[in-house]
Amino acid sequence: MALALEESDAQLVTRAQSGDEQAFAELVRRHSALVFRLAVSILGKEFVPEAEDVTQEVFLKVHHAIRSFRGESEFRSWIYRIAFNKAVNLKARVRFRSPHADETVLEDLAAPEPGAERQMQTAQRDRAVAECMGTLPEVYQSALRLYYWLGAGIGEVAESLGVPENTVKSYLHRARQLLRSMLKERGYSCE
Amino acid sequence: MSEMDTRQNTSNEDGMDRLLRQSMAAPVPSLRHDFDQRLMRELRRSEQPLDRYGRILFLGYGLVSVVVSAVVMHSQGLGWGFVSGTILAPLGVVAIAHAAWRTRHARIHAIHHSQ
Repeated sequence: MALALEESDAQLVTRAQSGDEQAFAELVRRHSALVFRLAVSILGKEFVPEAEDVTQEVFLKVHHAIRSFRGESEFRSWIYRIAFNKAVNLKARVRFRSPHADETVLEDLAAPEPGAERQMQTAQRDRAVAECMGTLPEVYQSALRLYYWLGAGIGEVAESLGVPENTVKSYLHRARQLLRSMLKERGYSCE
Repeated sequence: MSEMDTRQNTSNEDGMDRLLRQSMAAPVPSLRHDFDQRLMRELRRSEQPLDRYGRILFLGYGLVSVVVSAVVMHSQGLGWGFVSGTILAPLGVVAIAHAAWRTRHARIHAIHHSQ
């Protein structure tokens, strides 16, 4: 395993192309977490199991197509592109399906506490933010979730989305502007 | 843009930044710890060749289709030699392509191991 850690992705890909299962397993170990984070950033927190399915599908596809990978782009860019497309396609299919219920929400509703009104206002505001976010372009949504929810740095967001860091900064800036004006229209102050 | 506008914009940006951090605060999910093992199992399963029953079925289908094609072509007035040629030629092409692929595969393997 220590040897595998020293090898570059390109070397592992060459080995995987000649049928080395261990090399492919190492590629999975290196990239599965980031592929999952990208999938979950596109699908949202209500569809975590689906994001895991997407991650599995991505690696099945990569395994199937690895012999045709010629190394014209970086391996990680290739798999992130596959992941992005698969997650966006899945999102289009599950858009109208009810998300998995979050049990903590049910518990909160069942046991109102002091300050319940404030909690309700916060919940309403969060729902408004989520709804407004849903109208933004996919790359903006993904950038926002990666940055604000999953705690990714600008560099990781750029790598996942396959764009330069300045573009990510501009996505985030534009997304915040759009959200602010949409929330203002709904009567929420963001200052 | 005046200094006041700039300050207002910065304040708006900071406000949105804070709001998004609060609004999107939720536990960060992660892959199940056995994801890698499950994936590799799934890969091995999907790569398995046809089982015994599948192979018999596939071979039977192939043989029946070859016999039916030969009989139909012969009934249309084609000679047995020509009929055999039209059936065996594509099979020969497939066999040659497969052998070429195996040779290339073995060469890549040899290069990799010699490195």
